[in-house]
Amino acid sequence: MTDTRAPAELLQAAADGDRTAWAELESRFGPRMWAVARACGLDATDAADAVQGTWLRLLQHLHSIRDPARVSAWLATTTRREALMIRRKEQAALPSFGTVDDADPASAVLEADGSRLLWKTVSTLQEPCRTLLKLVATDLGSRQMAMRLGLPLGSIGPTRARCLEKLRLLISPQETAQ
Amino acid sequence: MINDEYFLAALRLAAGNDPIPGHVSAAAREAYDLRVPGAVTADPAERPVARAERGENGSHSVRFVAAGLTFDLEVTVGDGLIDVTGQVFPNPGEGAHVDVRTPHLTLTRRLADTGEFAVTGLPPGWLSVVCHRPGHAPVQTRWVRIRP
Repeated sequence: MTDTRAPAELLQAAADGDRTAWAELESRFGPRMWAVARACGLDATDAADAVQGTWLRLLQHLHSIRDPARVSAWLATTTRREALMIRRKEQAALPSFGTVDDADPASAVLEADGSRLLWKTVSTLQEPCRTLLKLVATDLGSRQMAMRLGLPLGSIGPTRARCLEKLRLLISPQETAQ
Repeated sequence: MINDEYFLAALRLAAGNDPIPGHVSAAAREAYDLRVPGAVTADPAERPVARAERGENGSHSVRFVAAGLTFDLEVTVGDGLIDVTGQVFPNPGEGAHVDVRTPHLTLTRRLADTGEFAVTGLPPGWLSVVCHRPGHAPVQTRWVRIRP
């Protein structure tokens, strides 16, 4: 069954006791939250904690999210904060109960429709970047990547860095225009 | 400056690589059972340094305040499990009790005359305490992550 309710409707329904609405929120936004936590450098166990913590925060804010239509962005931002707090805890060896306020424009790439935008932008790049970044996304090893692209093994690292830089330049203006 | 890791994570997400594990999704869905309708959330109290204090025995102390109630919690991690001692003050009165909650286990305790309570053997991870008072909305601490 596909739930076509808007995010704000799902949030309201979950606040009113509708378990299926909560499940639909998880189904729609959970994968992106996982990606955000992983992008912060967490291993699988800590990323699971960051995602779980974010859902628990949402439970306590079901009635107080300022912009329910943007619950997706709220979830991604909160996941990132939780992930950074977990990282800081590991570094400080003490649990921190404060908040992380250093907003990072990079998070926009993973929030909202950032992934789709990113993929679309990759497809506009010239070769070898277009193929290389698609291969990077599938975690193909450097040796196999070199064979697929017909490039020397030693050039994969620098080429990847150049391609990411091109992507960065293309994405940044789109990001700031949103 | 956009971090390369964000790009890579977004690319992997779009490619369907590194998908969210099933148990993480399941835990998120089950978290709905932890909802406390109508609860007031107690946030960590402002302190000069906004972090927990570590005691001599490796315990962590943190204070939460809301709706005229203060929760002082002392959390100790030993042998991979969590022990919590706490005090709610001023004493919420006759008939009040606390639920010490984790995603997988909730333990209920009557409050002593002093407002104190204790639980042992909780699994590590997220933890929250809810105080139920007759005639008042429940007060729930923010969830805190406790790991060895």
